Amino acid sequence: MSNTLRPYLAAVRSTLTAALTLENFSSQVVERHNKPEVEVRGSKEVLLNPLTISRNENERVLIEPSVNSIRLSIKIKQSDEIERIICHKFARFMMQRAESFIVLRRKPVPGYDISFLITNVHTETMLKHKMVDFIIHFMEEVDKEISEMKLSVNARARVVAESYLTAFNS
Amino acid sequence: MILLEPHNVIIQTTLSEKLVRPSALEVQFVDYDDVRFRLSTPERKTVVLLSMNIRCWGDLVKHGALDILKREYGSLVKDTAEPEFDVSLEIDLDQVPSDPEARESFVKSVSLLKRNALAAPFERAFQTQKELEASGSGQGELMQIHYRDEEAIYVQASADRVTVIFSTIFKEETDRILGKVFLQEFVDARRLPTIQNAPQVLYSSRDPPLEIRHVPGLRDTDDIGYVTFVLFPRHFANKPLAEGAISHIQLFRDYLHYHIKCSKAYMHSRMRHRVSEFQKVLNRAKTEVATGERKTVSGRTLVSR
Amino acid sequence: MSVLAPIICDNGTGFSKIGFAGNSDPSFVFPTAIATRGPAAQASRGPSVPSKPGHLASKRGVEDLDFFIGDEALANAKTPGYTVHYPIRHGMIDNWDYMERYWEQVIFKYLRAEPEDHYFLLTEPPLNPPENREQTAEIFFESFNIKGLYIAVQAVLALAASWSSKNVTDRTLTGTVIDSGDGVTHVIPCAEGYVIGSAIKHIPIAGRDITQFVLNLMRERGEMANVPPEDQLRVAGKVKENYSYVCQDIVREFRKYDAEPYKYFERYEGEHSVTGRKYSLDVGYERFLAPEIFFNPEIYSSDFLTPLPEIVDGVIQQSPIDVRRGLYKNIVLSGGSTMFQHFGQRLKRDLKHLVDQRLEASARASGSAQKSSGVDVEVISHKRQRYAVWFGGSLLADLPGFYTACHTKAQYDEIGPSICRRYQIFGSAT
Repeated sequence: MSNTLRPYLAAVRSTLTAALTLENFSSQVVERHNKPEVEVRGSKEVLLNPLTISRNENERVLIEPSVNSIRLSIKIKQSDEIERIICHKFARFMMQRAESFIVLRRKPVPGYDISFLITNVHTETMLKHKMVDFIIHFMEEVDKEISEMKLSVNARARVVAESYLTAFNS
Repeated sequence: MILLEPHNVIIQTTLSEKLVRPSALEVQFVDYDDVRFRLSTPERKTVVLLSMNIRCWGDLVKHGALDILKREYGSLVKDTAEPEFDVSLEIDLDQVPSDPEARESFVKSVSLLKRNALAAPFERAFQTQKELEASGSGQGELMQIHYRDEEAIYVQASADRVTVIFSTIFKEETDRILGKVFLQEFVDARRLPTIQNAPQVLYSSRDPPLEIRHVPGLRDTDDIGYVTFVLFPRHFANKPLAEGAISHIQLFRDYLHYHIKCSKAYMHSRMRHRVSEFQKVLNRAKTEVATGERKTVSGRTLVSR
Repeated sequence: MSVLAPIICDNGTGFSKIGFAGNSDPSFVFPTAIATRGPAAQASRGPSVPSKPGHLASKRGVEDLDFFIGDEALANAKTPGYTVHYPIRHGMIDNWDYMERYWEQVIFKYLRAEPEDHYFLLTEPPLNPPENREQTAEIFFESFNIKGLYIAVQAVLALAASWSSKNVTDRTLTGTVIDSGDGVTHVIPCAEGYVIGSAIKHIPIAGRDITQFVLNLMRERGEMANVPPEDQLRVAGKVKENYSYVCQDIVREFRKYDAEPYKYFERYEGEHSVTGRKYSLDVGYERFLAPEIFFNPEIYSSDFLTPLPEIVDGVIQQSPIDVRRGLYKNIVLSGGSTMFQHFGQRLKRDLKHLVDQRLEASARASGSAQKSSGVDVEVISHKRQRYAVWFGGSLLADLPGFYTACHTKAQYDEIGPSICRRYQIFGSAT
C-alpha cells in the first residue's frame, strides 16, 4: 500500500516544486488587470501543459501550471458509499472555510474532489517549500482521516445497535 | 445520552410545577412522530386539560388504544376529546396524591401518554401470541400503524413469536448511507455473545419483507428501508419485561435517526479539528512579518484590531 | 396534516430559552452550559471501570454522547470527570463543537421533536459575523436536516415582542431596544427591521452589577451580618428581584424613608441553605437605590459614569436623521434587568428632559425664528419583557409570512450555507 504512496507523493512534490516558478504577470487582454491566467485562460501562450499524476484509477492529481498561477486538483480515494459521502462532506467543509486557507479554491475542478489555486502573490508572501509541504501533508492526512472517520462511524453504529438490543434483556 | 427516554419532559416539568403552584396555563408542544400536545386550564386553575393529537389514532383505536388508556388513567380520560385533538385527559390538581413519591409516579404516568397510546397494538400482539401458542398454530392479524406520513409499523403475532416491521424513509442521501451502516450493525450485533438473547433483526432496503409484501401501496424506491424485529416470547414473558420492550421498540425509528444525526455532529467536530490542524500547517508557510511594537510619540502603543 | 409548530431557540450567554411558536412562554429556560467528560478524566479513569452494559458510553466511539446540558450540567459540575463549559461568550457562539452537541440534546431530549419535521427560528446578537450564520446553518441543515431555518437578530425580536403591549398601535420594526441581561446592557437602534450597527452602545452595567451593589449596600448597613457568607449573594439577588423599584427622585425618596421607616422598610426572611437556620433582615434604601445605578452610575462605578438616558439619547442622535423620530417614539425594554417597577417611566422622563433641553437650545440659537413641534418620547414596557426576545420569536414564527421568509432545506442544498447571509424581514405592518 504505502510502497505506491511514497513514489506518488514524491512525484507530486517534485512536480509541484518545479511548477511553482511564478512571476507577476499583467493581463495581455485587459489593461491594468492581473488575474491568475490558469483561471482566466485568456491567452494561450502563457498556459503551460497540464499534467496528471495517477496512483491508480481512483487517485490522481492534476497540476495545471501557467505563468503566474498554478492549479492543483486532487481526486481522493473513495472505495465505497460511506467513504464517498465522508469525502464529499469533508471537502465541502473545507471549501466552506476557504477564506482562511488562502490557497484553497472554493470549487473543485470538475472530476476532482478538491482544488488549490496558488498565485504569484502567494509564492511571494509564503515560503514555497512549506506550501508544498502543506499540500503533501494534506494528501497524506486526508486519506487517513477518511478511513478513520469511516471506522469510527462503524464503531458508533455497533455501540448504538448493541445498547439498543441489550435493553431488551433487562 | 445513548437511549431516548419514553416520557415527555415538557409534560413532566409543567405538571410538577403546576402541582406546586397552580396557575393559568395554555401551551402547545410536540413529541416524536407528529404527535401534538396541548396543556391548558380552560375552566379553573386547578383543572389541567392535557390533549393529544396523534397521527395514527384511527389505527390505534382499532387495536384497542382506548382500553389501554382507560386502564392507565381511569376516569381521567374524557369521553369527548378537545376539538382538533384525539384524546384528552382531565387532571384535577387537587385530587393528585400529595405524598411525593406517589405524586412523582403519577406525573410520570401522565407524561407517558403517547407511549401508552402507542402500546395498544403491541399489547394486543403479545396477547394474541399467547392465545396462538395455546392453540398451537395460526397467525394473528397484521396490524398496521401509519405513525408518520410515509412510514408505518406493522405488527403481527404468530404462534411462537411477534414480528414488528418498521418502514423508514431517509430524506437525504447521506442519511440513507449512514442508515444502512447502522442497520447493518443491528443485524450483525446479535452475533455477540452478550446479546444473543436479543430480538432478531432483519434489514432490507427497498424490498419489503415477506410478511407485508401483500400490503397494497408500499413504496418501491431507494430511500425506503424495512427493519424487522422478531420478538420471541422470552422478550415479553412477564409484565415489566413486556412494558420495557414496548417502550423501547416504539422509539426505534427516533433512536435510529437520533444516532444518525449524532454521528454527523461527531463528524463535524472531527472535521473542525482537522481543518484547524491543516490551518496550522499552512500558517507555517507564511513568512514572518516582523511586527515589533509600534509606539506613538507620547509613548502609547498602537494596536491593530 | 397541519404543519407542526416551529421551534424557537434563543441561546443567550447565560440562559437558553427554548420552546414552540405560538406559546407565550418558553418551555425550557436553562443555563447555556454543557458538562462533558474532559480529557483529564480519561487519564484518571483507567481500566478500573467495568464495561457492564448500560455503561456503554465508556466504550470507544461514543464518548461524545456522554454529556449533560442546562441545569443537569451544573448539577453534574462536581461529578468527577465532568467539566462545565459555556459555549456562548458575549452572545456569540465560541465553541461550535459544544454548541452542536448542546443543540443535539435540546432537540432530542428536551423538545422531543424530530428536527426533520420542524422549522426553526434561531436568534443572534447584533453585529454577528455572517460566517457564524453560515456555520449555524451548516449544523442545522446538515446535521439535523431541519425543514427550514430563520435566523433573527435579537433586538428585532424584542421589538416584535412589544407588539403585545396595549400601548402599541402600529406594528413597526423601527425603534430603540434596551436589552439588559445578566452580563451587559445593549442599546440597539433598529430601522425597519435592520440594526443600525454603527450606533450600537454597550453599557457595562447589568444584572450582576446590581446584585453586587445591593450586596455592598447591605453589608455597609450591617444587615448582612447574620446572613451566612455563602448565601449573601443569593439573598442580594432575591432582594433585587422582589423588593426593588425605580424612584422618580432620590432625595425625596430618602426623606420619605427617614420620616416613616416602618412603612417603607421591608423585612426579608431567609433560611440557611445547609443548616436550615432562619434569619431575617431589613430591606431599606437599596429598594430604590439598586436600579438607580442605571441613572446615576457614579454611585456604583468609578470608570463608567454616563447615565442610561444620556446613552440612549446619544445612540439615537448617532443614527440617521430620518429615523430618529421613530427611534424616540418606540423605545422597547427587554431582558430581566429592565423589569424594575417604574423603570420605563423614569427613563421616559429623563430622556424627554434631555430632548426638550436640546430643542430649546436650538430654538434659542436660531433666535426663536424656528420652533420645533416637539419630539415624542415613548418607552414601552410590557408583560413579556423578561423573555422578550423569545416571545418576539414565538410571535413572528406564528405569522403566516414566516414560512416564506425561511430558507428551506431544498434552497440550502441548492445554494449552500451562504444563503443564510440574508433573511427577509417580515411581519411589520408598515
